[in-house]
Amino acid sequence: MMSDSTTPPAPGRFRRFRESDFFYAFTRSPVAMASFAVVALLVLSSLLAPLIAPYNPFDPASLNLMNGFTAPLAPNAFTGESFLMGTDDQGRDVFSTILYGMRISLFVGFAAVLFAMVLGITLGLLSGYFGGWVETIIMRAADIQLTFPSILVAMLIFGVAKGVTPVEYRDEMAIWVLIFAIGLSDWVQFARVVRGATLVEQGKDYVAAARLIGQRPTTIMIRHILPNVLSPVLVIATISLALAIIAEATLSFLGVGAPPTQPSLGTLIRIGQGYLFSGEWWILFFPACTLLALALSVNLLGDWLRDALNPRLK
Amino acid sequence: MRRSIAALVLATAALPLEAEEFTWAETTDPQTMDPHAVNSTPVLGFLNNVYEGLVRRGKDMGIEPALATSWEPIGEGEGWRFTLREGVSFHDGAAFDADDVIFSYERAASEAADTRSWFAPVAEVVKVDDHTVDFLTTAPNPIFPGSIANWMMMDSGWAEANGAARPDKENGNFATLNANGTGAFKLTTREPGLRTVLEPFAGWWDEAEHNLTRAELTPIQNPATALAALLSGDVDFINPVPIQDVARLQANPDVKVIQGIEARVIMLGFPHEAEALQYSADVEGENPFADARVRRAVAHAINVPAILQTIMRGNAEPANQLVSPAMDGFTEGLEGYAYDPDAARALLAEAGYPEGFGFGLKCPNDRYLNDEAVCQAITGMLAQVGLRATLDAMPVQNYWPELRADNFDMYLLGWSPGTFDAEHPIRFLAATPNDEKKLGSWNFGGYSNARVDALLPEIQSTIDAGARQAMLDEVARTLADEVAYVPLYVQPLVWGVRSNVELTQRPDNFFLLRWVTLD
Repeated sequence: MMSDSTTPPAPGRFRRFRESDFFYAFTRSPVAMASFAVVALLVLSSLLAPLIAPYNPFDPASLNLMNGFTAPLAPNAFTGESFLMGTDDQGRDVFSTILYGMRISLFVGFAAVLFAMVLGITLGLLSGYFGGWVETIIMRAADIQLTFPSILVAMLIFGVAKGVTPVEYRDEMAIWVLIFAIGLSDWVQFARVVRGATLVEQGKDYVAAARLIGQRPTTIMIRHILPNVLSPVLVIATISLALAIIAEATLSFLGVGAPPTQPSLGTLIRIGQGYLFSGEWWILFFPACTLLALALSVNLLGDWLRDALNPRLK
Repeated sequence: MRRSIAALVLATAALPLEAEEFTWAETTDPQTMDPHAVNSTPVLGFLNNVYEGLVRRGKDMGIEPALATSWEPIGEGEGWRFTLREGVSFHDGAAFDADDVIFSYERAASEAADTRSWFAPVAEVVKVDDHTVDFLTTAPNPIFPGSIANWMMMDSGWAEANGAARPDKENGNFATLNANGTGAFKLTTREPGLRTVLEPFAGWWDEAEHNLTRAELTPIQNPATALAALLSGDVDFINPVPIQDVARLQANPDVKVIQGIEARVIMLGFPHEAEALQYSADVEGENPFADARVRRAVAHAINVPAILQTIMRGNAEPANQLVSPAMDGFTEGLEGYAYDPDAARALLAEAGYPEGFGFGLKCPNDRYLNDEAVCQAITGMLAQVGLRATLDAMPVQNYWPELRADNFDMYLLGWSPGTFDAEHPIRFLAATPNDEKKLGSWNFGGYSNARVDALLPEIQSTIDAGARQAMLDEVARTLADEVAYVPLYVQPLVWGVRSNVELTQRPDNFFLLRWVTLD
């Protein structure tokens, strides 16, 4: 694909890559650009939700129940108000709720991936660098966790955490517990990839040289090895982001995630599912489309990233 | 070997050719198979297919003979004498006699039983002979036979042999998973939360009206899923139909919607006895709900007509007392608290909470029609007057233990009087909780009013209808004045069946298989 990227990886490659090949590849891929545009639009509009959204759906005092079940762009029979994407069973504006709900979905997704990434990289570096019993313990723990579906692990963690948090703080804690649960169920992939890459890297001369001049293991791991294993991590992080957003939606759909008074996309879909047969399609349709667009474009972006960063495809 | 196969073929051929297998789905699985452990409609309604009482209710809710063939008052209101049916046997073949009645009384009135308060008026139960039993009451009790229609008979020998002589609400015992009644159906499989299978009991004393060969209950918690199962024909009957889907179902020729007004009133309860709120971030060491003005503010803050219009789609009636107008002893002309947020704010300011306060609202999410949505709407309405509720909605198997452990600042409750009489909720919900006298067993908040406590035994023993009604009216007015509860609405009853099913809907929301026929 590219002509000049056969040089072995060296520190600072990522930056140069962005300036040349990477960006060039990006501008040549309509899928990547379209996905990036969708992601950027969704992230921006959720960040600016308080400015864009006509209502604040998280403030129960502002809701008027009589607005419930208003169809999109049609005036409500009682109040005469009209809503871009209609309202749900509580009279919440679906459009505003999607914007605010997407904030939760994105925040949980990013934070959970960050948490999983930090945990996974640390454990992966440790087990790859030291080997021996450190590696055995960490990687066997990873293997055991891989035998359970990650959504099950997340539900288990969520259940335990909910049991130990006092009820009055449960609503505030719910988001953090979600991040913790999804992150903890997702670190294994990072650890495995980082360990593999570390095993390769640490046999190379630059690591041996660093050891010879007497640098400490932590310095070698962070300053020397880590920058060279980051590109596969970046790919996994992007794909994990899509999975984490879906995991959050799944948990909320099952009723164990975000509280009903602060609906995320998954909670909205759960609410809407109850009205599928009765004709109020918009309560389900718009949040589901948003979730689809978000997860799909993040995933496509991740796929493209994997190809673009894969030296074997060049 | 060959002979046994031949025998099998013959035996199969001898079976009736048509197997009328019936499956149904409800949102709530009966918590237990023990008829004395939990006094709730899902349990009692289901077990009425398996167990029977001395009397039972017919299709029109009238009292008719079951395991007793007749009953008559003893002397001048000293009690009631029941003559038992002869030749009745339990599903395991044991004969039913007076000893089983005495045993079932001791079991159902024991401290471990949730049905204990049914026997508050009973002083003693005496076996006269094998088929005659006397119930001596502490005072004349004209409604006693009707009040024990859900008291089900259990075989003493079976219960004792299996270590289930007393019910066990918390941990369960043999009778929690197994059943041995005298009813039209016997329990063949019980897998809690998955499926419960019944088969007709060949030795039933009464003539079978149904034509079923097997019936299976599958709990489906999500009403939309249950509806999908009904439309696809996977189940023959669902209870309830999501209220929002009624209109669409009525247009479908494959299914029928059976609607009625249930006897159940949905209400909010308060922690009258609590020293302090449990889930408040801003009120420390005091309980604002102990002040009647705060409770009145709650009543004024809730826009019941809006809830009925949107969430209930106009299918429910508002309530202003603990019973629906269909019950005996309903109080006419009682005025409820109209929706008036300004009055609510003024009352809160008067009570010393001009800025309102935060608290925790407990709510079931699989027990009543759209219960979670109703609680969410209530949360929003209360927030508009400054009462900031933190909503905690949970499945019913976690809900009752939470309420029993006093873990609430406010809670949602639905009450359907088993006796179809206004006295019933007074005994369970308004009387001061008293284990000794078997009173107030569902009065979680500990509401207590000396006048109500004094009137209750009078109501129970008064035979003159006018005088009785006057006392019921006084209690209803007192409860409304003090806002002991905030009655919200009478729950509608909406069942959905395949069009080839004939069945009977009773206003107590009991689904009885003995009236089901399949085409």
